[in-house]
Amino acid sequence: MLTKNDLTRYERQILYTGFGEEGQRKLKQSHVVVAGLGGLGCAASLYLTCTGVGHITLIDCDRVELSNLNRQILHYEEDIGEGKPFSAAQKLTRLNSSIEVTTVFKKITEHNASEIINGANLVMDGMDNFKTRFILNKACVAQGIPFIHGGVHGLFGEVTTILPGKTPCLACIFPEVPQRKVAFPVFGVAPALIAILQVTEAIKLLAGFGSLLTGKMLYFSGETMDFTFRDLVKNQNCEVCGTKEVQE
Amino acid sequence: MSIKVRLHPILRNRAGGQEVVEVIGRTVGECLENLESRFPGIKQKIRDNRGQLRPYCGIFINSEFIDSEFAYPEELTTPVKEGDQIDIEIFIAGG
Repeated sequence: MLTKNDLTRYERQILYTGFGEEGQRKLKQSHVVVAGLGGLGCAASLYLTCTGVGHITLIDCDRVELSNLNRQILHYEEDIGEGKPFSAAQKLTRLNSSIEVTTVFKKITEHNASEIINGANLVMDGMDNFKTRFILNKACVAQGIPFIHGGVHGLFGEVTTILPGKTPCLACIFPEVPQRKVAFPVFGVAPALIAILQVTEAIKLLAGFGSLLTGKMLYFSGETMDFTFRDLVKNQNCEVCGTKEVQE
Repeated sequence: MSIKVRLHPILRNRAGGQEVVEVIGRTVGECLENLESRFPGIKQKIRDNRGQLRPYCGIFINSEFIDSEFAYPEELTTPVKEGDQIDIEIFIAGG
C-alpha cells in the first residue's frame, strides 16, 4: 500500500507510462541484495534507495579506506575505518527513511551465500572479483533469483541480467577466468554508469515493464564513448545451470 | 600462415569495428604483433611494458583457454596453425 508521502515522493516516476502506482507498489514490496559496497554497490544502492525499493540488504566485509573515495560515493572521509555496510546504510537511511536497510558485515562464502540471498527478489553484483561472483551466481541459480551482473575496469564496463533457467548464467558466460588477482585501475565514473544501468534493469525487472538485457552483454567504453553488445549463449553442459531445465 | 583473431567488443573500435580480423603468425605473440602493425593501439591494451599479456586479458585458441597458472606468461609463445582462431578476452572484473 502506498502512503500519501509515497505518492508525493515518487510522483515523477509514477507518471511514467507502464509503471504507475502499481509499479511503485511492486518496488516497495521488493527486497534487493546489494553484494559489495564498492564503486558499483554504492551507486547502485543509492539509486535503489531513491527509487523506493522497500528493503535493501547491504553486504560487504571490508572497511572504508582513503583509496576507496575516488569512486565509492557513499563513504566519506570521516567513515575511514568503518565497515562499508554501516557507512553506506547511514547515508541511505537519511536519504529515504521509509525503506528498510539491512547491513551484513561478512565475507560472502559458499557456506553463507544461500542464507544471505534467501527471500530476495534480486541480487545486484557489486563484487570486485570473479570468485565471489561465481558463488553468488550459483546461489542465485539454485534459488531462482535474478542476478544483475556488472563489472568495471578503467573506463570500461559491462552489464547483463541473468534470469536462472532462462538466460546464460555467469558460469556459462565465463567458463574460465584468470586466477591472477591484481589491483585494477578505475575512474569513479565507470562504476557509477554501470551501476545505474544495473538499477535501470532492476526497476524494470521488479516492476515488470520494458525489456531486459537478457542473453546479451552490454559493454561500455568511456575512452571512445561506445556502447556495444555481444550475444551470450547458454552452455547446456554448464556445471551451474546446465541441467536446470532438464530437472524442471 | 593466416590466423583469425576475434576481438573483445571493447577492442573492436581499434580495428574499425571489426569483430574478426585475419593476421599472420606462427605463435600467439607473432599474431598479436601483426595485429598491432595493422591496427596500432591494440597492443597497449593487451600487453604490458615488458610485452607480457596484461593480467586481465585471456587468450583462447579454438575456444580453449590457454592461460593456466602453468602457461602464464608463456601463452605468447604458444604455436598456432593455419585455420586456428585466437579469441582475445578482456575480463572486466572490478567493482
